Amino acid sequence: MTAIPHSHGRKSRLDGIFLGTLLSLLVVGSLAVLSAARPLPYYHQALERHFLAMLFGLFIFALAANFAYEAYEDQFWVVYGTVIFCLVAVLIFGTVHKGHRSWIQLGFFAFQPSEFARVGMVLILASILDKRALKMEDISTVFMSLAAILPIVALIVKQPDFSMTLTLFPIFLSMLFCAGVGWEHLAGFMVVSIAAAAMPFLYLFLSVYHPYPVSGSFLYFFMEVFRSKGAEFALLLILAAVFGVAYYVNFLMRWRLRPSLFVVFWFLLASGIVGGVAVSRKLKGYQKSRFTAYINPHSDIHGAAYHVHQSQIAIGSGGIVGKGLFSGTQSQLGFLPERHTDFIYSVIGEETGFLGAVLVIFLYAAMIWRIAGIGFNARDRYGYLVCCGVGAMFAFDFILNVGMCLGLFPVAGIPLPLISYGGSSLMASLWSLGIVANVGRRKYALL
Amino acid sequence: MKRNFSPERLQLLLMGFFILSGGMVLRLFQMQILEKDSYELAAERNRTEMVYQTAPRGIIYDRNDIPLATNEPVFSLIYLPSRLTTQTELNRLAGELSRTLRQNPEGVLAKLEQAKKERTALRIAENLPVPVMFRLSELKPFYPGIDLVLEARRYYPFGSFASHLMGYMGKITPAQWERLKNRNYRMDSRIGRLGVESIFERQLRGRDGAVKIEVDAHGRIQKILKRLSWKDGQNVHLTLDSFAQRAADEALRRTASRRGAVVALDPSNGDILAFASSPDFDPNEFLGADPFSLDYSTFVPSSVPEFDRAISGLYAPGSTFKTIVSVAGINEGKLDVSKIIFCPGYFKFGRRTFKCWNHRGHGNVDFLTGFAQSCDVYFYKMGLAIGPDLIEKYEKIFHLGQKTGIALKGEEAGNLFGPETSMKDGKPWVGGDTLNLAIGQGRLLVTPLQMAVVAAALANHGTLWRPQYLNSIDSENGGEILRQNPQQIGFVRASKKTWSLLDQAMALVVASGTARGAYVKGVQVWGKTGTAQNSSGKDHAWFIGFAAKPGQAPSIAISVLVENGGHGTWTAVPIAHQVIAAVFHVGKKSQYQWPQFSPKKIGPSARKGVAL
Repeated sequence: MTAIPHSHGRKSRLDGIFLGTLLSLLVVGSLAVLSAARPLPYYHQALERHFLAMLFGLFIFALAANFAYEAYEDQFWVVYGTVIFCLVAVLIFGTVHKGHRSWIQLGFFAFQPSEFARVGMVLILASILDKRALKMEDISTVFMSLAAILPIVALIVKQPDFSMTLTLFPIFLSMLFCAGVGWEHLAGFMVVSIAAAAMPFLYLFLSVYHPYPVSGSFLYFFMEVFRSKGAEFALLLILAAVFGVAYYVNFLMRWRLRPSLFVVFWFLLASGIVGGVAVSRKLKGYQKSRFTAYINPHSDIHGAAYHVHQSQIAIGSGGIVGKGLFSGTQSQLGFLPERHTDFIYSVIGEETGFLGAVLVIFLYAAMIWRIAGIGFNARDRYGYLVCCGVGAMFAFDFILNVGMCLGLFPVAGIPLPLISYGGSSLMASLWSLGIVANVGRRKYALL
Repeated sequence: MKRNFSPERLQLLLMGFFILSGGMVLRLFQMQILEKDSYELAAERNRTEMVYQTAPRGIIYDRNDIPLATNEPVFSLIYLPSRLTTQTELNRLAGELSRTLRQNPEGVLAKLEQAKKERTALRIAENLPVPVMFRLSELKPFYPGIDLVLEARRYYPFGSFASHLMGYMGKITPAQWERLKNRNYRMDSRIGRLGVESIFERQLRGRDGAVKIEVDAHGRIQKILKRLSWKDGQNVHLTLDSFAQRAADEALRRTASRRGAVVALDPSNGDILAFASSPDFDPNEFLGADPFSLDYSTFVPSSVPEFDRAISGLYAPGSTFKTIVSVAGINEGKLDVSKIIFCPGYFKFGRRTFKCWNHRGHGNVDFLTGFAQSCDVYFYKMGLAIGPDLIEKYEKIFHLGQKTGIALKGEEAGNLFGPETSMKDGKPWVGGDTLNLAIGQGRLLVTPLQMAVVAAALANHGTLWRPQYLNSIDSENGGEILRQNPQQIGFVRASKKTWSLLDQAMALVVASGTARGAYVKGVQVWGKTGTAQNSSGKDHAWFIGFAAKPGQAPSIAISVLVENGGHGTWTAVPIAHQVIAAVFHVGKKSQYQWPQFSPKKIGPSARKGVAL
């Protein structure tokens, strides 16, 4: 496919565009943090931490860029064991902040293992999918990878950090997809996920628009499914009856569809529904109100919808060139909440306007394009899969975060990697990019 | 090395990502370029807050330019609401403020919550004493959102002084606010109630100042963006004579019943010199520290003695009505002034016996003695001679039963009494009614103001002036814009002889009759007392009269009423004496040295030291 190049050096040079976009994003991020964190009482301390973490992160990047990435595949169990160990350790020794036990206090630095675990998960999945390269069409591959990440997911849910968990599934799906898993398996997995994800949405939608349905009506029955334990099985029975009738129609009409299709489809839907209902029951008040705010933005202008509302005002009022760095009224006067972390993109939109906001999108798109490019040219399948995972990680974080700031998606506490304030996120991101850089540098290497 | 993977699927994902990113760019284009204006407005509304400063109201002066209502600089506590403030923080703030302000914490909390709900700055307390002001300025850093503003507050230097004419300042009611909010009234505005404060609200009010400030999300003031200075209200000059007014107010307060009214007019043009109604009130009391204290939910309106006896109180005129009966009789030639009538102390009419107030009888009386002694028997007989129709005609000529048209709310027209009126009301006119009418009893009802107009007409020989209290209003740039001209509401066409006899008779009342107490040294006084019987309790005491410097035209006409005061001689006459003495500056000179008082100018110089 590709001709062996004339240069026989062991390593190629670093991808210039990749490094350039990465460094540009760090510069943009630093400026945004400098401006957004200014109203904070601990401004100087925050800046100290940010730049220290960036220095440390660049060191990790350099280290990872020179560290043969195949080692992660060879030492699969070490990686896996370390990830599990860290996640267990945080549940035991971790400190609680904003309701999550997600941090381990190391001296003056709070370390968030789940950020690193996410990168670890990409490495683990890449190993498994690489090893099963010849059995990609087999359903067992899906189950095996699912089994591998389930402990990681479970431990992160335990913290509980739902936002982080939410970002794990797109990464997982993208990696399966890129690895070449059969379409029907992916479709089946999608059915389960969509059924499971639809349930909490449906429940919250109904509680907003039909909170008190007439007793005995279909809606009432539906609400009961969520409210009383065990009622979801009645729904499954009804669903089974519907599938039975469908099979009978199929038989009468001589469509000749396989009977197993109906059983499998029912089973997929059923597991999705049971999982979704279980999640709905476990939702916390603030999570419910975030959904509610998304469904009906005018419902509660002072509560959950306040964040999105203020973010939209900040971005919209920025105009074409913005209000100038350090002069955004929404951010500097404190109307925009979480401005140096989750809503930092709104600060960029307000202070640098359309030009700055589009520049960030452009830089991100360019960086992800280069990650994919490195993936295309990787010397082996493992490197390709690592690039897919890291690319998906950045792409989904970016889309979800910017979409939230623009009011397109519900509020989820996902930071914008490389830009938001947060040492662990920054270092983990730089580590993952270092690995990608190494994949790029070693594309022709024989060893 | 053959690669064992195909990157087509990654390319597909990358495409998807680019499409989503493009979607983000389009959304940014929509928000930042197409819908920029509405978001900009929202951001501007977030960060700016208007704080209003009540402008000084126009000063109300009396005829000698003595200020009756002025302004003083006060500090008000305002609360700038913030959406980030939680309920627990509000509760804490309410607790702390209520302790400092000595107000009840629930009330303070309700105001804070209202400010938060309405998203506007609201006054929590006004007119703060200096120690409280300093204490609050210390609290300011700990409780973002509270701030102090300097503004002008109404001040009445003489307290209870012509209260019903001056009026008072009250909190705007929600219904009024709905109606007036387009005219720059705010929910915590004050508005003139009653009297001059209410009638000339538009002129007196001025334009409030405003400070546009930038606040942060916690309601802390960042900087002042714009300052609109206030404009003082227009000054109003009244015709009141402060000395006469003070005498009237104080004299009424000294009466046993403490209920009554005094109206003094200038007979040459109807200008009101004194206008007192008791019980009165101190309008300063409604300007306490709590701007919501006059909120009608917590304040019973009836506890403000708003009832103005001078224009709304209806009383039988009693013997003061004999002046009108005399004018009618003499002018129409039905009353022979030289005819002598014997008064045994009673008068038998049919089967009924009508008594004279003096049960021992006055003996032989002619017109002058009968009038001076207010002999009822004389007037019973004269009333029969004149006839009730003529008396009723003169009631109308003297403008009784009609409003005088004074520019005040709540004036009563009173009640005529005579054969024609009775017929209209469907009541038969019997002979006894004529006797009652002749001495001013029966269903005849008048207000003290109407009797003052009558007294003025007796003084100037016939002209009925509309009573008015407004002299002039200053225009916005200093000159006068309005000068009130006298308005005539009627004229009593009577012969010279009639007036000279009336003058003689009324002078005799003061010289040797029932109103000897009205005599003032160096002043010629005319008058007539009255004692109006009423179904509830003691008689009401009346006096009407007028006075002049010897050789000059009368310069004051007065009407005094004391509810349940008994005989006019003992309660109403001394009040008239004091008011007349005050008008002519009779007595100790120091009494007429008004304390030197110049209204404070509240301007930028007074703003020093306060943030806003």
